Amino acid sequence: MLKKSILFWLILSPLVVVILFPFGVMFVSAFRPREELFTYPPTWTFSEFRWANFAEMWVKTNFGQALLNSLYVSVLSTLLAMILSIPAAYALSRYRFPGKRAYRTFLLMTQMMSPIVLVLGLFRMMVALGLVNTLNSLVLTYAAFNMAFTIWMLQSYFSTIPRDLEEAAWIDGAGHLTSLLKVFLPLAVPAMAVTAIFGFINSWNEFVLALTMIRSSDGFTLPVQIYSQVAGRYQIEWHHVMAATMLATLPVAIVFSWLQRFLIRGMALGAVK
Amino acid sequence: MTSSTSLKPLAMILPGLALAILIIGYPIYDLGYASLHEVSRFGQLRDFNGFNNFRDVFEDPLFYGSLIRTLIWTFAVVGGTLALSLPIAMMLNEEFYGRGLARVIIMLPWSISLTMTAVVWRWALNGRAGLFNATLMDLGILKEPIEWLGEANQAFTVEILIGILVSIPFTTTIFLGGLSALPQDTYEAAAVDGATRWKQFRHITLPLMKPFINIAVVLNVIYVFNSLPIIWVMTEGGPANGTDILVTYLYKLAFRFGQLGKASAISLIMFGVLLIFTIIYVLLVMRGEAGAEAEE
Repeated sequence: MLKKSILFWLILSPLVVVILFPFGVMFVSAFRPREELFTYPPTWTFSEFRWANFAEMWVKTNFGQALLNSLYVSVLSTLLAMILSIPAAYALSRYRFPGKRAYRTFLLMTQMMSPIVLVLGLFRMMVALGLVNTLNSLVLTYAAFNMAFTIWMLQSYFSTIPRDLEEAAWIDGAGHLTSLLKVFLPLAVPAMAVTAIFGFINSWNEFVLALTMIRSSDGFTLPVQIYSQVAGRYQIEWHHVMAATMLATLPVAIVFSWLQRFLIRGMALGAVK
Repeated sequence: MTSSTSLKPLAMILPGLALAILIIGYPIYDLGYASLHEVSRFGQLRDFNGFNNFRDVFEDPLFYGSLIRTLIWTFAVVGGTLALSLPIAMMLNEEFYGRGLARVIIMLPWSISLTMTAVVWRWALNGRAGLFNATLMDLGILKEPIEWLGEANQAFTVEILIGILVSIPFTTTIFLGGLSALPQDTYEAAAVDGATRWKQFRHITLPLMKPFINIAVVLNVIYVFNSLPIIWVMTEGGPANGTDILVTYLYKLAFRFGQLGKASAISLIMFGVLLIFTIIYVLLVMRGEAGAEAEE
């Protein structure tokens, strides 16, 4: 076991280094004093942890506003997707109904549709609806594009909750709704939470639609705001960019690391089967 | 079954279905309509012009350049990802010290927005002060810093490698799902019969993993074919369109150059390609399900 562990870590080490490398770059560049960013020849060493970089960055890059925008869009789109997905997933896992097969095919197909191919049509539609340059355009589109994933995930988890439990409750005289609320829901809450968090992360990280729909910088979400600090600028304040990237990614990375085993389980349960 | 019990599930799926049809269905219709018309740069539809937009696309050398690079990008990233992910998944599926930590690290790129990853790499690869050069110089591999993104072919290669890096977590996850479902007793029986590790891999693991490999290929092809952020953030398709793939070229046409008719036509062509892959995916999934039901 020890020999095997050392061997496996040795084999994995190049990949581990390459994965952790950008985190190192982010960390060092975010804390470095500005003068040390462009030393020649380039080195990893730096003289002090300059926490002031973060305070400066917060003001200069309008980080707070972008953070609020990202939170607004991610929370609302996840809520909307969940409200629409939970009944649909329940129907898929518990009922037979006409057109079920066609509906599942439709879900699989929408899961494959990428925003970039439709982005021009979506933009024209949002113009027509008067929603361009509003965060709500993102709420609607993120919810729609996430739904296939959330329904699929929820459905595969719901199918693992034994139907007998609900049926036993009916026999005991509980109504359908009561059994749903008292028996099914408590068992389904963990699955819903996990699915919602993955939906949230998807929305949090989305780039193309946010770049397209939001025209004024007040409405930028974090990825677009950080991109706008880099794109088409003569002078890029890299220490601010790296500090912003670090603040925007670390919390999500930590939550994701904690939850990733559920994703593997969801896949094993039938998300890809 | 009474009619009320079959109406209930329909009512449950309907609201979500309506949103999906509005957001995903309508733009497809709109793009189809616009692609057959002359479109002003402000998005007003003018006269019906038949297939002129498509003709413009097919007469455009930049389109072919982007198309070829899209093919290279897709094959290289998907091929590289699969070649690395299967052995990684097989290792992560076995017990060893620190497996939990290894899983967390390898899944890490998935949690981070491609935009942010690309921004960090763009800085790391900076020719003057990038820490990638610093590392290679510290190790004695490089004497002078290199401008990694200055020349198109080199930049494109770097982008492909980063594409592989960020695709590994998802693919490994699919494979882990598959590996965890493999019957252990088959391996034990094979080991008793004296089958070597390689033989076990060739004759047990690979055939049983085939459905998962198929799914991973198709899903990755779809995702990579459509992926904009890495190339957009690192080089914007430049220098001189040398790293443009279809999605970046489409985005420039639509939102930089205001050639909306042509952009609609390219969107529709890409939609067609996507549809073919999606149908393959749906058929694979359906076949998998039919197989699973037959086993039950």
